[in-house]
Amino acid sequence: MEALSNLAAGFGVILTPQNLYFCFLGSLIGTLVGVLPGLGPLAAMALLLPVTFTLTPVAGMVMLASIFYGAMYGGSTTSVLLNIPGEAASVVTCIDGHQMARQGRAGAALGIAAIGSFLAGTVGIIVMTFCAPAISAIAIRFGPPENFGLMVLGLVCTLYMITGSPLKGALMIALGFLGAAIGIDVVNGKERFTFGSINLTGGLDLLAVVIGLFGVTEVLANVERLVHGSLLTGRIRNLWPTLDDWRASWRPIVRGSGLGFILGLVPGGGPVTASFMSYALEKRLSDTPQRFGKGAIEGVAGPESANNAAVAGSMIPILSLGIPGNPVTALLLGALIIQGIQPGPLFMTQRPDLFWAIVASMYVGNLFLLVLNLPLVGLWAQLLRVPYHILFPVVLLLCVVGTYSANKNVFDLWVMLGFGVAGYVLRKLEYDLAPFVIAFVLAPLMEQSLRQALVMSPDGAMILLQRPITAVLLAVSAVLVALMFRRQSTHRGGDL
Amino acid sequence: MTRTALVLGLLAALCHPAAAQSGDAKAELARLKPKDFPSQPIEFTVVYPAGGGMDVAARLLAKHVEQASGDRIIVNNRTGGAGMVGHAYLATQAKPDGYTVGVLANLMWGDAMLRAQGRWAYTDLEPIAYVNTDALTWVGPTEGPYKGMSLKQIVQAAKDKPGTIRVATVPGSMWDYIIEQIEANSGAKFLRVPFQGGGAGIAALVGGNVDLAQGFYSEFRGYLDANKVAPLAVAATSRMDFLKDMPTFNETLGGNEYTWQVIRFAVVPKGTPADRKAYLAASVRAAMHDPELVAEYKKTGAFFDPKLANSSDLAKDLGDYAEAERAFYQKTGRLK
Repeated sequence: MEALSNLAAGFGVILTPQNLYFCFLGSLIGTLVGVLPGLGPLAAMALLLPVTFTLTPVAGMVMLASIFYGAMYGGSTTSVLLNIPGEAASVVTCIDGHQMARQGRAGAALGIAAIGSFLAGTVGIIVMTFCAPAISAIAIRFGPPENFGLMVLGLVCTLYMITGSPLKGALMIALGFLGAAIGIDVVNGKERFTFGSINLTGGLDLLAVVIGLFGVTEVLANVERLVHGSLLTGRIRNLWPTLDDWRASWRPIVRGSGLGFILGLVPGGGPVTASFMSYALEKRLSDTPQRFGKGAIEGVAGPESANNAAVAGSMIPILSLGIPGNPVTALLLGALIIQGIQPGPLFMTQRPDLFWAIVASMYVGNLFLLVLNLPLVGLWAQLLRVPYHILFPVVLLLCVVGTYSANKNVFDLWVMLGFGVAGYVLRKLEYDLAPFVIAFVLAPLMEQSLRQALVMSPDGAMILLQRPITAVLLAVSAVLVALMFRRQSTHRGGDL
Repeated sequence: MTRTALVLGLLAALCHPAAAQSGDAKAELARLKPKDFPSQPIEFTVVYPAGGGMDVAARLLAKHVEQASGDRIIVNNRTGGAGMVGHAYLATQAKPDGYTVGVLANLMWGDAMLRAQGRWAYTDLEPIAYVNTDALTWVGPTEGPYKGMSLKQIVQAAKDKPGTIRVATVPGSMWDYIIEQIEANSGAKFLRVPFQGGGAGIAALVGGNVDLAQGFYSEFRGYLDANKVAPLAVAATSRMDFLKDMPTFNETLGGNEYTWQVIRFAVVPKGTPADRKAYLAASVRAAMHDPELVAEYKKTGAFFDPKLANSSDLAKDLGDYAEAERAFYQKTGRLK
């Protein structure tokens, strides 16, 4: 098979001390920024971008890519242990991961996150190895109507994430949409809800919002627990997931891998969306959805697999089409261009050495990360022994540094603080924060693709039914909504 | 992490090949260097995200300025509001002490004239050196009904069947303005499909979701090489060296107003001490004389506008372009 011989050649390039070193270094840095709340892969990669100028293109790209997927491994750690997402794609891992930690099962949660990440990452790379050209041919056909269908499906999945009051959940989704409307209108270029502020013209920064809602809010909540003396002081019982854990996790890992990979391919999709949708999917498919939010291991296994598979998926448009789907891959594109390499449809045939070396490095990097992360689980767990009066100020500091480093704009810090306080109040009032974030992420993409589709359509909204992929996606969404209402009405019937 | 970066950075610095410098530029730099400047790293402010076209241009420049002057340069991406936040920062907040240099593009003028609401003007940022230019280019499909048509034929088609030819645009920018000009002059009517940037529109063209796309050479080169897009016309005053067969808009459609390009240059905030300003200008110019940098820029599809490259009064020559833009805004009712 041609792909195999190409891959072998890629391994030939990558298995040199220098390239292995940079792959390892990137994995390590990625894990670190993943673990540290606030700091994410984008900041680390931007910081190290100048360093890659002096490296060979292979070493530079391998290092940057490994930071990206390394962060997906590290991100779950603080989610599980501290209930603070290490980066945006691990927000959803907090929900059940931290509950597991509170039950003394942090080891199992971290273990399944690392192993799930490894399996999903590897599956994604295997698909990439054999199908990259075919997949990119389909991906480029995805136009505004198809993207809109996918975003609707994503939003419908969000409905399944709502725990507690459906009304409060729906309200949070609506607020997410409103928050996302701030900034420049994508169609006519006019400002919306900016109130004359230059800082609002770009909209609220996702990173600042997420760090505020989850990082700052959690610190505030913990300060309160500290006062009341009800903090988590659990011991880590066993590092390894039990047989039962495996039985519950393997399907979520497989589904998360598939879902994550597909969402990675879509512009605007990627690890964040993938992790949310995987969680919603697992909750929907579970026989015991009431366990979700109370320490269900499926709620860790699925999303953590999905975000890693999404990384592999998002490498395909960038390497085989030259299209960046999210800010991180846009940075990879820039790094290639600075090296004088033009990614595009011919990249695979013109620079097979580089393409296959990057693919091969992802196999190696995922292995590094597994080996790096499993033993580290015990070490990270020691974090819980750090006295809280030291830990929380440090976390808060990291939140500030992480938020500022993204755009170097002090205004983002106020956004972070504002959302931190708002998040704390909302949590006290028992509002779910996750639906807000997912609506905030999906809304701009959804609005843009819908309006693009309507503009380009000769028959108005009919375009959404005329395009087969869009029609199928919308039909699936409609079925899901119908199922949810039925479930709720039967539940209500049971209560009576 | 920072420490790793530092170590790697040091290693990198040790491995740098000695810069090929013309003696003249070096001597001029030495002569102009103020006694106490710089005593700390100089920030090159980029108002767009890391990895984009502007960022790539600024980082390549920073690398060669470091080689030419030996000063430490830090590229800082102050992003938000499609560049508005960074432009306002440079014009109103950055200290005019020579440690902040904006590496930006003429898109700043539109921000100043249309969106700054009088809080700052483009003259608050003083140009010190010209970097390069990228011209907006239209590309068409290599399959379907518009395959093989020239721009003139496509414009005619958009006149015969108004509102059917889908063209990718970026709202509120030169992508929109050029469509407006063509429509006003020819009576044609295009269907504008909005995108967030040139690259996204070109991908939509290749995917068959629009009929025409606009972008810069670096954005469509990959597809051009793969014969997935066809070059139609460039909005520059003369043809591109690397695409000699592609006409300019002015040639195909007649007239001389179809000039829409991204002009990149370096600025300092107004009030920067004259000696520091002169030294910074000389160090950017010295980098721009490095044939290696010139070659790297050409590889990204940029070219050098002779009027600006050989300008003796850059502020005035750039100002002429800016005022032409203001005239367009006034003519189209965007500006009173």
